[in-house]
Amino acid sequence: MTIPRYSIPILTIVLLFAGYFLRFAFTQPTTSVEFGETGKAKLVCIVDGVKCKGTANYFTNMFNGVEGISSIETIATEHIATFTYDPTKINREQIRKIIEQPILLRDGSSRQFFSCVKMK
Amino acid sequence: MKTRVLRYSMLTVVLGLTTYLALGFGKRSFEAYCPFGGMESLWGLFREGQFSCATGPLNLSMLVAVIILALIAKKAFCGWVCPIGFLSELIGRLGLKIIPRNTKLNPKLNDRLKLIRYVGLILALYFTYRTGELILRGYDPFYIIFSGFGHGTLGLVTIIVFTITIIGSFLIPMFFCRYLCPLGATIDPFSRLGLIKIARDEELCIDCGDCQAACPHDIAPHEMIYVRHRDCTNCLECIDACPEKDCLTLKVKL
Ligand code: SF4
Ligand code: SF4
Ligand code: SF4
Repeated sequence: MTIPRYSIPILTIVLLFAGYFLRFAFTQPTTSVEFGETGKAKLVCIVDGVKCKGTANYFTNMFNGVEGISSIETIATEHIATFTYDPTKINREQIRKIIEQPILLRDGSSRQFFSCVKMK
Repeated sequence: MKTRVLRYSMLTVVLGLTTYLALGFGKRSFEAYCPFGGMESLWGLFREGQFSCATGPLNLSMLVAVIILALIAKKAFCGWVCPIGFLSELIGRLGLKIIPRNTKLNPKLNDRLKLIRYVGLILALYFTYRTGELILRGYDPFYIIFSGFGHGTLGLVTIIVFTITIIGSFLIPMFFCRYLCPLGATIDPFSRLGLIKIARDEELCIDCGDCQAACPHDIAPHEMIYVRHRDCTNCLECIDACPEKDCLTLKVKL
C-alpha cells in the first residue's frame, strides 16, 4: 500500500506527543524513604534543586529525625517531592523552612541549595 | 515542496527547543527528554524500582515512543527529530561543500565499523548499571554540547572524543550515527522490522544511482525492492533525488 510522504512527520509528531503523555504511566520515584511515623496528610512540593539521585538523597536526608514526617518520595527530573506528614506535629510552613534552610559547606560558608517553588 | 525543507524545519524547531531547555528556561533539563535515558534507567528500575541518577519517567516514555515509532516508520526519530543527527548531517554537508569528494567507504569496512556502536551500547549500559552514574555524559555529543561541557564531562578525554566526533562528521557523513551512537544501536532491531519503507518500482528505475548518492547513510535503494536496512531514517532524500516520477515511493510492507 502506497502512503503519502507527509505520513512520516505526522506519525513522528503524534508518537512524540504520545511519549510525552505516556510519562504518567511510569510512576516509579527517584528516591522513596519511610521514616516510621503514621501521619497521612499529603504535601506535594516542586523543589528547585532536586534534579538527580544525589540531590534527591541529600534532600531526603535533611528530614532525618524531623518529627512528624512519615515519608518522602521524589521524582528528580520533575523536581517533585511528595511528603506524608502528621499536621499535629509539623505544618507546611515548617516543612518549607527545612527545605530552604542554608546548608553548611566544607569551607565553613553556607548556602541555600533548595527552594520550594510551589506547594500543592 | 522538497521534503528536506519540511524535515529541516522540524529539526530546527527541535534544536531550538533543546537549546531553550539547555539555557535553563524550561521546566525540565534537556536531558529529561533523551530516549537513551530510558535505557540507562532500566537496571535501577529493575533492581530497586527507582530511577537512577538524572533519569526519569519522561526518558522512559520517550524510549517507548521511539521504539514504537521505529516499528512503524523505522528510524524516523533519527531523520526527523534528533538534534545530534541534524548537526551531524549539517557538518557532513559542510564537509562536502568545502572538500567535494566521494565519501563512499568500502561497504565491508563500513559494515564492520558499524559494529562499534553495539560495543559502545554494551559498555555504556554496563558502566551505567555498575556505577549508577550517567557515565556516557563524558562522551555523548548531545550532553557535551547542550550542557556546555558541564558536570560529568571528563576534561581532556571529553575534548579529545568530541574533537574526533566533529572531525569524523566532517569527513564521513553521519559519522556519529553510523559508528558510535548507542541510541541508534538500541533502535536497530526495531527499525529492521519497521512497517513503512521506501519501495522501488523496477520497471521505472533507470539505475542512475542518484538515490544512493543522496542518502546520508549511503544506502542503495536502487539495489533493493524494499529498503529494509536498519539505518534507513525515512528521511525521503532518495525520493526527492530520484529523476523518475513514482519510481521510489513510501509503502507499508511487512
Ligand atoms: S543515530 Fe543517534 S545521534 Fe544519530 S540521529 Fe539517531 S539517535 Fe540521533
Ligand atoms: S534510503 Fe532513502 S529514506 Fe532511507 S535513509 Fe537513505 S535517503 Fe533516507
Ligand atoms: S534514483 Fe530512482 S531511477 Fe535512479 S537508481 Fe535510484 S530508484 Fe532508480
